[in-house]
Amino acid sequence: MNQRGDILMGNIIFIVLNLIFLTILILFLLKQGQGAIILEQSYAKNIALLIDYSKPAMEIYLDMEDAFELAKKNNIPFQDMVQIKENQVIVKLSDKGGYSYSFFNDVEVGQYPSVDNKGYYFIISNYNE
Amino acid sequence: MNKKGAEKILSVYWFVILILVAGGVFAMVYLFYNHPYDIRDLEADILSNKIADCLSEKGYLKSKIFYQGSFSLSSENFLNKCNLNFESKEEEPQYYSEIQIYLFENLNNPILEILNGNKNLISSCEIQNENYQKLAKCSEKKFYTLDAENNQYLIKILSIVRKTEKNVK
Repeated sequence: MNQRGDILMGNIIFIVLNLIFLTILILFLLKQGQGAIILEQSYAKNIALLIDYSKPAMEIYLDMEDAFELAKKNNIPFQDMVQIKENQVIVKLSDKGGYSYSFFNDVEVGQYPSVDNKGYYFIISNYNE
Repeated sequence: MNKKGAEKILSVYWFVILILVAGGVFAMVYLFYNHPYDIRDLEADILSNKIADCLSEKGYLKSKIFYQGSFSLSSENFLNKCNLNFESKEEEPQYYSEIQIYLFENLNNPILEILNGNKNLISSCEIQNENYQKLAKCSEKKFYTLDAENNQYLIKILSIVRKTEKNVK
């Protein structure tokens, strides 16, 4: 190959390596924000705050599309994604235990996944006796 | 040095820069996502609002709190009357609430004081800044209200939320 061919090949390899580097970097950034640990924590705290602010006879809908996708990937049944036990919200999106956060509003809460599997309904029925 | 040698050094230099940039990005992402979301300020504010809603409605003391000239609220029945639950999985209680009700004519001595939760958290309220994130978060509110006979009261509410392990690293 002549000298011109060498320069062209060198540049192509250099550009390809740069593109690979940038792709890995972008994939890493995207994956970090969508990890189960981050989403579990974010949704558990979000739900706890919503419940703290709620009053009986309220119905709250929370869009959790990204969490549903992750739960599906990790084979977590949708009805088990969000659990409320006593005054703890537990969000589980992988088989590693989930994340729990407590709330102080002493209300009875029922939680149900929406029919289209994109969000969760929280029904505040009454204050606990 | 000839032209080809200089180009080789330049591309090595370029890859060193890429590695440095990648290292920086990884470090920043790790630091950002490794810190939990801190929602204690919001929680303390909501708790104060909840207590205010429990005591007063439309500018008047609620009848379940103040009836026929006397308060039925005490430190013992406060959680039950205000529908609050301060239980947590941690050994140490994670909340503290303090309510002081003053008659408008005498703002020096409260006519009713209600304390509930972990009193050790009160000291955290003296230092509330970015450098002391591990301390509990406090929210203070005060408002005026009336009773059925239009007597005026000042109500001061202090709410404190700890939950340090779940909100700060």
